[in-house]
Amino acid sequence: MPDFETKPDGRHSRASNGEVDRDVRQALLQAQTRRHFLRTLGSGLGTVFMGTLAAKYATSANTARPAPASPDLDFTRDPSTPLSVLPPQFAAKARRVIYLHMAGAPSQLELFEHKPELTRLNGQDCPASFLAGKRFAFINGVPKLLGSQYPFHQAGQSGHWISDRLPHLEKHMDDLCLIKSMRTDQFNHAPAQLLVQTGNARLGYASFGSWVLYGLGSENQNLPGFIVLLSGGKSPDGGKQLWGSGFLPSVYQGVQCRSHGEPVLYLENPSSISRPLRRIMLDAIDAIDQQTYTDFGNPETVTRIAQYELAFRMQMEATDAMDIRKEPDSVRARYGSKPGVASFANNCLVARRLAERGVRFIQLYHWGWDSHGAAANEALNIGFADRCRETDQPIAALLDDLQQRGLLEDTLVVWGGEFGRTSMRENRGGQEMKWVGRDHNPGAFTIWLAGAGVKPGITHGETDDMGYEIVRDPVEVRDLHATMLYLLGFDHHKLNYRFQGLEQKLTSVKPARVVPEILA
Amino acid sequence: MTSWFQRLSDRDRIGVVALIPILALLVLLIAVPPDGSERAQWGQFIGRFHPLAVHLPIGLILLVPILELVGRSPRFSYLRPSAGFVLGLTTVSAIAAAGLGWCLARSGGYSGPLVTQHMWGGISLSFFCWICWMARGRLDTGRWRLLYPLALATTIAVMTWTGYRGGQLVRGEDHLTEVMPGGMRKFLGVSVPLKMTAASSVNTFYGGRIQPIFAGHCITCHGPDKHKSNLRLDSYGSLMRGSKHGPVVKAKDLHGSELFRRISLSPTDDDFMPKQGKRPLSPDEVKLIEWWIAAGASDALSVDAIKTAPAQTTAAAEVTFDRIDAAEVARQRAGLASSVAKLQKRYPNILEYESRGSVNLVLNASLLGDRFRDADLDALSPVADRVVVADFSRTGITDRSAPALATMKRLRVLRLVDTKITDVTARVFGGLDQLESLSVFATGVTPASLPTMAQLLKLRHLYVGETTIRADGTIPEALKGKVLF
Repeated sequence: MPDFETKPDGRHSRASNGEVDRDVRQALLQAQTRRHFLRTLGSGLGTVFMGTLAAKYATSANTARPAPASPDLDFTRDPSTPLSVLPPQFAAKARRVIYLHMAGAPSQLELFEHKPELTRLNGQDCPASFLAGKRFAFINGVPKLLGSQYPFHQAGQSGHWISDRLPHLEKHMDDLCLIKSMRTDQFNHAPAQLLVQTGNARLGYASFGSWVLYGLGSENQNLPGFIVLLSGGKSPDGGKQLWGSGFLPSVYQGVQCRSHGEPVLYLENPSSISRPLRRIMLDAIDAIDQQTYTDFGNPETVTRIAQYELAFRMQMEATDAMDIRKEPDSVRARYGSKPGVASFANNCLVARRLAERGVRFIQLYHWGWDSHGAAANEALNIGFADRCRETDQPIAALLDDLQQRGLLEDTLVVWGGEFGRTSMRENRGGQEMKWVGRDHNPGAFTIWLAGAGVKPGITHGETDDMGYEIVRDPVEVRDLHATMLYLLGFDHHKLNYRFQGLEQKLTSVKPARVVPEILA
Repeated sequence: MTSWFQRLSDRDRIGVVALIPILALLVLLIAVPPDGSERAQWGQFIGRFHPLAVHLPIGLILLVPILELVGRSPRFSYLRPSAGFVLGLTTVSAIAAAGLGWCLARSGGYSGPLVTQHMWGGISLSFFCWICWMARGRLDTGRWRLLYPLALATTIAVMTWTGYRGGQLVRGEDHLTEVMPGGMRKFLGVSVPLKMTAASSVNTFYGGRIQPIFAGHCITCHGPDKHKSNLRLDSYGSLMRGSKHGPVVKAKDLHGSELFRRISLSPTDDDFMPKQGKRPLSPDEVKLIEWWIAAGASDALSVDAIKTAPAQTTAAAEVTFDRIDAAEVARQRAGLASSVAKLQKRYPNILEYESRGSVNLVLNASLLGDRFRDADLDALSPVADRVVVADFSRTGITDRSAPALATMKRLRVLRLVDTKITDVTARVFGGLDQLESLSVFATGVTPASLPTMAQLLKLRHLYVGETTIRADGTIPEALKGKVLF
């Protein structure tokens, strides 16, 4: 409020005391927001009324449940350290997860599923029984069967079949546990990715990494506990919800980092702000937030304070963790990574560094596996081959490094897509397309697991001779989630959070079972 | 003019009325017999109360002769008059039970001689009860004197036979005879029962390997007496005929064999077979059926034709979870709890219990890097012997920590990646006899320490990359296959 006014003739004159008083009183009134009014209302007539009601209804049965706590396992923490470490429900091998999601759905028939019968019938019309009662994304009319575009051979002591597209990963064949009978009920990318990552095909649910953070906390308090790295040129179709926290407190969400340049945009101080100055600024913000917490008592405020502090600590450590220039040339060459160029290889190297530094859940997305064959970069013999080249060497190098250091013993590595691809060649619009591709097949797809607690060198489940449907040991996505949570030390029923009247869990409401055959 | 009905006594009037449902049931049994299909849910639901309801007339009809006989003595003479009432109750409840039984038979997928005989037995029983009831207290003189006792005896005999048939329906034709003691069996002339109606020769693969599987898991619901969905698995012919939906086994076509599909589903699936709590097939049995179908599903295949796989996979047990007894855990942790709490405050987030139910500890000092030194490891000594997993990678510890490491006797996993330790520390490894995994990647450990590490019996992995230990050097025999470079 001004203590002097500018009169129309340009002179300044000091306002009279009366005017100042009036201005002060007005300003004070305006400072009383609706929020303040409603808050103080509680101490007036409202409280008296509520008191009479409360006396009537307060019995032990009616006292409110403490807000979100699992009735069996308690995940509550001091709000100022929401990511503090908690022990798992029972002793388990896996202490961190590296999830390599191949967004777009990689073709299992060109990688792991050897189907000579399908190759023999290549080019023939697809039998009607394959098409009856099914919805396809793009297939129209009667497509033709399509054999694998690449030759297969057996690799490793386990003798598993693998195509020639993954020459580096082959060397690790005896460490992998292949599940060939994965099944989903979603046939399009976004809902299928949501199902695989959050346990539910609709938006609003917490992602796997969020659940793991909620259950186990983060060992390294100077880095986010759940880090996401993207490559391939685009974000996955499911969007940021794939690493979102859903109904869990927002502190458990995944943080998308960049693997070149600043790991998190605007993490660095602007050139005119030094680190001590930033500290002073943060202290002031902390003080205001503390006052807000005292006034309104919202625990998210304390978390907000904690996140500012985390960002401050991240300035030092995140840049260091994500800086692959610190690795010797030989290591970078093994991954095929180049500093400054965004690539899956860079991300894999960063993932290893993050695993060493106690990041709980590291997720890598590589886009571009959607081999419909509608364009060159979707063709099985062009784009698909590029994707294989981009990912094969880095994944093998990552497994090498983890194994050498002994980290593979307590890291769970998962590779997979969101559904499989059809045994038929895609014929968009009923015509034969210029490039070769396959449509979506939710009925069967392949993923592999390696590392902590997983039985190495085995295959679980089997599809029919055409690689189209599962004939043995189907594994639903929720079964995979239950198994992974078991490897991390949790009964998937007990890692839950009360929301909307239900003990929500990653495996959602349908019955899920841990798959005992893949456990070591 | 009063009708003959009104001239009857009360009891007789009820008797005539009771005859109507008996005749109705008779008509139903002849006109609408059970035919093996499953029908309307209401019929099935009501019908399932038959096994419950049937116990009432059984109990009551056995009570009647007791009342009659015991009531002859003057002390219990008050019992005799009640026998008539009880008989009336028996008749009514027998009719009701028979009605429920018809619902069950008609809707529950039953057919065949066993169920037909049981139904005839049940209706006859109702009729005989009615005769007993009407005959009691009249026709007491002359030649008719024996009518009542004879009728009663017949009723009980019919009831016993009907009840036995009913038991066979539920439990299988041989449920008494299969456990009959040998002497009794010989005395009664009962032969060892054939489980299958058309038993194939045991020299064929089907007869010797597949048929016993069905006999053990399936024919209670898919056999001669009860065949759900009209599927019978008690002979090769009926197996190949399939169910009312079509064939369940297609030669060489696993994808098209509904039977195979159903037995290989997850136990939680709706379509999974066998259902209703019956014991599922073991993985080996499923595998046998799979091979047999893939080899042509023929009953002429010799029993040795398919060489079974050498490695019989042991059935992986379904995973179960134990409850954690919080009080017990707190008791076990009591000695350590305060030390652990203090150390957790001093070194946040690096020390935690192994699990919610465990008293062992997991230590990950690698997060502190250089700031974690020998002195800090000493500070952990109060809890050192309970640490089972320890990661000191990239920390500032040196050989001076060797004694402190030696006290961690329960260690299963030890990581010392990129630390300044040398063979001096490696000497204490010999005492850590629980070690399963040891990583000295990028340390000063040399091949001289290998013999010490070879002593560790439980060691499964030894990581020696970026050290002077080379693959082409001498590796002790005990470590062969466990070392990773």
